[in-house]
Amino acid sequence: MRRTLQKIYLSAVLRLVHAAICELQSLDKAAEGELLGLPVGLRYAICTGHGAPALFVEWDGAGLRRLREEPAQKCCRVRIKTMADAFILFTGRMSLAHLYARHGLVVAGEIADVMRLARLVNLAECYLFPAFITRRILPELPRLQASPLRLYARVFFGFLTNRY
Amino acid sequence: MQPPYFEYHNPVKILCGENALDRLPSELRQLAASRPMLLTDAVLQKLGLSNTLLDIMDAEGCPPACTFTDIPVDSSLSVVNRIAALYREKNCDSLLALGGGSVIDTAKGVHLVLSGNTDDILSLSGMENIPRGRHIPFIVVPTTAGTGSECTGVAVIRNEEQAVKMEFLSPFVAPDAAVLDPRMTLRLPPRATAATGMDALCHAIEACSCLQKNPLSDAHATASMRLVAQHLLPAVENGADATHRLCMALAATLAGIAFSNSMVGAVHAIGHALGGVCHLPHADVMAVLLPHVMRFNLPRAEHHYAELLPFLVGWEKAADTPKDERARAAIRCVENLTARLHELCGLPVRLRDMLVREGDFPRVAQTAINDGALIVNPASVSAAQVEQILHQAY
Ligand SMILES: [Zn+2]
Repeated sequence: MRRTLQKIYLSAVLRLVHAAICELQSLDKAAEGELLGLPVGLRYAICTGHGAPALFVEWDGAGLRRLREEPAQKCCRVRIKTMADAFILFTGRMSLAHLYARHGLVVAGEIADVMRLARLVNLAECYLFPAFITRRILPELPRLQASPLRLYARVFFGFLTNRY
Repeated sequence: MQPPYFEYHNPVKILCGENALDRLPSELRQLAASRPMLLTDAVLQKLGLSNTLLDIMDAEGCPPACTFTDIPVDSSLSVVNRIAALYREKNCDSLLALGGGSVIDTAKGVHLVLSGNTDDILSLSGMENIPRGRHIPFIVVPTTAGTGSECTGVAVIRNEEQAVKMEFLSPFVAPDAAVLDPRMTLRLPPRATAATGMDALCHAIEACSCLQKNPLSDAHATASMRLVAQHLLPAVENGADATHRLCMALAATLAGIAFSNSMVGAVHAIGHALGGVCHLPHADVMAVLLPHVMRFNLPRAEHHYAELLPFLVGWEKAADTPKDERARAAIRCVENLTARLHELCGLPVRLRDMLVREGDFPRVAQTAINDGALIVNPASVSAAQVEQILHQAY
């Protein structure tokens, strides 16, 4: 039961993080800079454990497009070793850096691409979670260039209009 | 404080001390190897170090099946792929690396390609994603005391196309054995002794202050620091002293084991970027950057740096230093060591001494923030902050 609930949560939060990063492209210059710096055609597969939810996206030069299936090639695969770790990560109780330090990740692909992803996820988390949570897990908080409420509103509008 | 979770791995047998090299043939036999490929470089050949090894191997009836000496100072992915093809062509059954960081990392890359049964090392890039492949007997003989590469689970190899240094992280990249023989470093010039020694110190200090630090990596790193503090200056001043040489070789290995289990940090991330973009020698860059990055990290790593002081200056001096002054005293100790090495042998203390252009800094900064070592640095570092550190070190 607990695992099922965690799966439902992870599935939702992965969609939320993806949608937030997409919206931040036009709300936050730092996010925009990170996205525009990605090599066109770069794909990410973020897997949260065996049989657990995953997110597959591709940067097409204009946006971070969600893919239905796991890309077969030319992909940076980040697998979180256990679903429990993924749950801790995406509930804002641990940063990606700390998970990395605990050998919680398996990466296939270039480390540089993981670093780019880590910065985007950190930034998205700073908008999605209240500061008292992110302050605990990140050594430094970036200056937010838009209101988190505005981001949430745009993300939910995106969900309503089936954009994500 | 103990971390909530950590991992430790060191599969390398260490043969350390007088005439350790003489035992290499027996070690090869134990690994069921009879047709080793020897990787080294032209300088070591000229210095006669490879001959010392070849004489021992000949005398024991196990000469290498093939010798490759064309490894450049800044080795690359294509060199790795070329050597792996030659290994197959010559039907070798084991690898032997005699050299400094570049030779050893190249050999580790070749080892990855061969055990992973592939033709292109790029197909193996990643972290903890490469399963244990075919066992290729692999022995390393370091000829510098600095990189610690003989005991680490990482191979750093230059990607010429992207002008970056790539890291291949796998516990299976480490060799079966490492031979630390003082004869191999006796003729290392003072300047190279100083630079590589500072690289070892940098490994130890970063290992003790990054997010992945743990009690076992700390034990190795602090032991290494004590050896560097006691033997680096004497080894530079009196290179013919086998005791100082062996202690420095051991210091480098200990620091290698430490950072292989805890990672390094911003000094290495920026250093790799300077190496990739500006082709600067790794060890020199480490010596220049270390105190600047320590100052940058100070607000986040003060308690870690304070704990290092006894290993750098001895317990008595450390005890005489007020508690809240110890971290700064540790940084000053590193600065004083670098300054003394500069006086003794011309070790660079500023980037401007190394023919680097300030105009390259933005590119270096962009490369550095994508280096894996940055993720475990105690403080987060942006591209602008990397540029700031570079300008301070210029
Ligand atoms: Zn180093």
